[in-house]
Amino acid sequence: MRVLQLDEDRGLALCETEDGQRRETVEIALVDARAGGLVLVHAGTAIA
Amino acid sequence: VKYVDEYRDPELGRAVRAELLAAVEPGRHYKVMEVCGGHTHSIYKYGVDDLLPDNVELVHGPGCPVCVIPMGRVDDGIALAHEPGVIFTCFGDMLRVPGSHGTLLDAKAQGADVRMVYSPLDALRIAKANPDREVIFFAIGFETTAPSTALTLKRAKAEGVTNFSCVCNHVTIVPPLRALLESPDLRLDGFIGPGHVCTVVGARPLGFIPADYGRPVVISGFEPLDILQSILMILRQIGEGRCEVENQYKRVVPFEGNLRALEVMSEVFAVRPHFEWRGLGFISYSGLRLSDAYADFDAERRHEVPGVRVADPKACQCGEVLKGVIKPWECKVFGTACTPEHAIGTCMVSPEGACAAYYNYGRFAHDRAVV
Repeated sequence: MRVLQLDEDRGLALCETEDGQRRETVEIALVDARAGGLVLVHAGTAIA
Repeated sequence: VKYVDEYRDPELGRAVRAELLAAVEPGRHYKVMEVCGGHTHSIYKYGVDDLLPDNVELVHGPGCPVCVIPMGRVDDGIALAHEPGVIFTCFGDMLRVPGSHGTLLDAKAQGADVRMVYSPLDALRIAKANPDREVIFFAIGFETTAPSTALTLKRAKAEGVTNFSCVCNHVTIVPPLRALLESPDLRLDGFIGPGHVCTVVGARPLGFIPADYGRPVVISGFEPLDILQSILMILRQIGEGRCEVENQYKRVVPFEGNLRALEVMSEVFAVRPHFEWRGLGFISYSGLRLSDAYADFDAERRHEVPGVRVADPKACQCGEVLKGVIKPWECKVFGTACTPEHAIGTCMVSPEGACAAYYNYGRFAHDRAVV
């Protein structure tokens, strides 16, 4: 998923699938996420 | 879509197929196990097995989290769901997994407040929105999903949420693989390693397969070209007399795994002395429970659960499918009494289950071959 917006205080990010079909709030505590970057999300958590 | 389209290129697929044909030794039969249910799904969805040489056979492994949940644990979940005041949350697949007297979906139809969630974080949100209700999350999955549960429990603890707890059914991949390798009725030549589990745990934990059992492992991505290339890498290892853990999925899997995920898992979870797997029986040190530091969030400690072991239905051969001993279509009830709409066995429930994947995609190719 692509990171749209970071909420670093809460360790969350708003992410969107690459086809733009779905948006999801994702836990980002396990990765170094940046706005515009891609993350691999599993069960609501970015693991890579 | 980046990282997707280029791994579904038919021209590249044909080129890898040619290399596969050149890599096999005529007259030799190769059996390769794909450990992960995600691979099983992709193999059938994209017809990867149709592109393999005739003497390369894929065997489906035990890496589908829904498939390995035993009936007794489902019964525990249903009992908790029926408790007054409880909101019971789980992933969508779990709703249709049969226990001994029905499914969580049946419990919902009978009045239990059972809700599907996409993540543990969703379950925590429900708990915060319903402070007068007890919210239980039925956690399942391998090391890929366990960090998500761990992070959510850490968040619940930090935020002082007291009406949230978790039934921990998380399992680990190494013990069942070791059990399979010790099994006398299964001969395997190599393994397609679970890409997303290895994203978390890294490549090192699979090192025992070449070191102790002399079988090659290639950690693989999930697109059709990933899987084809991984099979080629396995065949090349065999052909060259090599035996090691290779990483085809380098764009995602670091050798050491995700250290932050491993750290949070070690804080929140402890290893159970044994855990029951559907069809495989009890396997030592294969399941996780909540650590003592998170005991307040352990639904099994906060509530009475039946905890009864229930034998699988006699007609169901999920155990043999999960061990790779039989193919889905060789099960007595496949596609007749057991279908995705009315599953008897767990392998027919999840899209990652070998039976469901084969029912949804593979059987058409099989029917063509038989005709």
